[in-house]
Amino acid sequence: MTQCPECEAHVERKDMIMGEVFSCPDCGTELEVTATEPFTVAYAPREEEDWGE
Amino acid sequence: MSDFTLGLFYTVIRPEEKWILEAAEARGIPVERLPDDEVTFPLVRNGVKSDIVLNRSMSHTRSLYGLRFFEHYGLRTVNRFDVVNLCGDKILTSLRLQEAGIPTPRTVVALTPEAALKALDEVGYPAVLKPPVGSWGRLMAKVDDREEAEQIIEHKDALASPMHSVFYVQEYVPKPDRDIRANVIDGEFVAAIYRRSLAWRTNTARGGEGEPVGPSPEIEELAVRAAQAVGGGFLAVDLMESPDGLVVHEVNHTPEFKTVRAVTGVDIAAKVVDYVSEVARR
Repeated sequence: MTQCPECEAHVERKDMIMGEVFSCPDCGTELEVTATEPFTVAYAPREEEDWGE
Repeated sequence: MSDFTLGLFYTVIRPEEKWILEAAEARGIPVERLPDDEVTFPLVRNGVKSDIVLNRSMSHTRSLYGLRFFEHYGLRTVNRFDVVNLCGDKILTSLRLQEAGIPTPRTVVALTPEAALKALDEVGYPAVLKPPVGSWGRLMAKVDDREEAEQIIEHKDALASPMHSVFYVQEYVPKPDRDIRANVIDGEFVAAIYRRSLAWRTNTARGGEGEPVGPSPEIEELAVRAAQAVGGGFLAVDLMESPDGLVVHEVNHTPEFKTVRAVTGVDIAAKVVDYVSEVARR
């Protein structure tokens, strides 16, 4: 369990893996898993101009 | 146990990358994670354990340099540097499609703002202005008349990057409120969806919705031809239904496939990992 850096809501790891991006269930901010043991999250990287598929 | 190590070059782990990691694990393939914001690239190979690298970086620039280095180190890559270089640039893609005789929207390129107005006159209004490099429909503009063109070109010219002073002008294709996204792996059609939107940009990243495409030999054949024309690999071909028939407007080199999987049920990640395994053993 950790906290969303934006809204401080509790965020659970569930089955998420290192590097996974997800939306905060409370405020919807895009977050990234930065470690699994212990579980930590940070803001997901911001989209850059040359990003795409 | 696998006889090779798969390098995953990536920006973040989206559902697509998670499925790829799961598919590799299910096949006993060891994976070396290569985050594109952490890896360093000496001129001489040092430290990379992988035998083959699957590129899932979201950045076109990082993809290009990363792949060029991995190939320099003697690793196999999916997709190859040449394919990514071509598909990441709409101008190079259009040239290649035209050379291969694949129907594609009428396109005129201009290299300065002044020439862009001439290019728009040549294409005729309405037209679409696209950045030569970019995705997800970002910074694209539908231009209805010359007055609007002058305003948009002035804005683009004010953006700092020289790439915004290169103008890719394409005819506006009067299509149904949908386009087609077709996935091709190693010259074989895999799955296709319609991307539906009432707005003119139908990218699912822009909120376009996916719907299944029934079997269509015409779509499948054209998608495969387009994918092979740009060099093959794991690709997503975007097609539009123009009044004169199907046209290919883009080939994506590092496709997202969450929507395709949800709509068609096809396990693209498994197919990609099987393809990568085959390339590794070639």
